[in-house]
Amino acid sequence: MDYILMLLPSMLKGLSVTLKLFFLTLMVALPVGILMGMARISKFKPLKWFMEFYVWLFRGTPLLLQLLFMYFGLMTIGIRLEREIAAYLAFVLNYSAYLAEIFRAGIQSIDRGQYEAADVLGLNRFQTMKNIVLPQVFKLVLPPMGNEVINLVKDTALIYVLAISELSRVARTHVMRDDTFVPFIIAAIFYLFMTGTVQQFFKWLESRFDYYR
Amino acid sequence: MYILQARDIHKKFDSLKVLKGVSLQVEKGEVIAIIGPSGSGKSTFLRCLNHLETIDRGEIKIEGEFMVRNSPDGYALYSTDKEIDQIRHKMGMVFQNFNLFPHKSVLKNLTMAPILVKQADKVEAENKAWQLLEKVGLSDKANNYPFELSGGQQQRVAIARALSMEPDIMCFDEPTSALDPELTGEVLQVMKDLALEHMTMIVVTHEIGFAREVANRVIFMDEGLIVEEGTAEQVIVNPYHERTRAFLSKVLMAR
Ligand SMILES: Nc1ncnc2c1ncn2[C@@H]1O[C@H](COP(=O)(O)OP(=O)(O)OP(=O)(O)O)[C@@H](O)[C@H]1O
Ligand SMILES: [Mg+2]
Repeated sequence: MDYILMLLPSMLKGLSVTLKLFFLTLMVALPVGILMGMARISKFKPLKWFMEFYVWLFRGTPLLLQLLFMYFGLMTIGIRLEREIAAYLAFVLNYSAYLAEIFRAGIQSIDRGQYEAADVLGLNRFQTMKNIVLPQVFKLVLPPMGNEVINLVKDTALIYVLAISELSRVARTHVMRDDTFVPFIIAAIFYLFMTGTVQQFFKWLESRFDYYR
Repeated sequence: MYILQARDIHKKFDSLKVLKGVSLQVEKGEVIAIIGPSGSGKSTFLRCLNHLETIDRGEIKIEGEFMVRNSPDGYALYSTDKEIDQIRHKMGMVFQNFNLFPHKSVLKNLTMAPILVKQADKVEAENKAWQLLEKVGLSDKANNYPFELSGGQQQRVAIARALSMEPDIMCFDEPTSALDPELTGEVLQVMKDLALEHMTMIVVTHEIGFAREVANRVIFMDEGLIVEEGTAEQVIVNPYHERTRAFLSKVLMAR
């Protein structure tokens, strides 16, 4: 018990690094993902093609490789990012691509009739997106987005490759130093708590959207 | 003066010619029923009038203003987006599948466009919405969501929603085709009431009875052309063309 109490401060510090990456990624990748999702089906072909390429690139390669590239790769051409910045960048770019795909699918599954009804009532395209399409898309994308956010919780552990002391790396350091697996158990409990919270949160969000079908 | 003039409308989808020169002139207060076999271009014609489709050739003029006209070399030349928006405000459209906004209450379905498009005051828009719901007999459903209503009720809300923008011309594309037979009556009744108030209406319909009873003019379309038009008496009771007769006997047989 004492041992656990002794571990806690450094583990909590690792947790805060993990949480910071988590929230920062979400806060940036969510709006960017929505915009990219719309751009992905834009009538302006070059934009559409660029987004297709982007999504293909970032979904088609490992996040780990992207992380390594942002730090070590860019270093070779003289761009030295701080490790944290490289991590944030890789995560935001990667998760924007995944969220863009989710939003694209959501937007495309809205019935044409909704656009036409808005159109004949005189709503412009921006009003239609904002008032008719996106509110319905949010309901549709909640389940896949919940999955993605849970993945994000777990993916944060990858930044250990840049020697950033997030939760799992801190745990490993203790395990090797103290020759006990207890720190891993604590880390697991933290992760479970985070994913559990995300799950509950999305369940609550979904129930908030239950008022219509 | 005509409230709506469509002249020589041509429209094709890729290589498929759907409208091959359709002309229609509508006077204020007229109720026009368009009938015809499936695939004859009725919906497409209505959608062209509402600018949901663009035409290849021809002219559409609404209350004296061109939405589209022919360029000297014979292609459709549309007015500017701003002008088109102005002109389209005069048209209301009711769809076969209602297309209500599922995430908005009935009342919000009716107030959204006036508030967003006409910058109407919220309270005013709501008062107007209540009046319209009263008119279609649904004031008790104002706070319900569309999924809680029957098809007939949804379509009546859709009609009220179109009316919320105070159009001068109402278009209906088979407004009762998606409904169970026992629910068509309530929707047709609302449309009859509108006709009695001298609303100008263009109705694509398979309801021959409604066309006969309410329409001032019946138009029979086939293969992208108007084959026959006249009073209900002329077109439905004493059709001149063989194709009209064949169509009518088929439709009436199916009853
Ligand atoms: N967006 C489109 N793209 C390609 N073809 C289309 C499109 N819309 C309609 N068509 C075709 O145009 C023709 C006319 O269709 P339209 O919907 O106008 O017929 P309709 O008279 O309304 O028939 P119905 O009674 O079945 O509603 C059909 O052959 C249809 O397949
Ligand atoms: Mg049709």
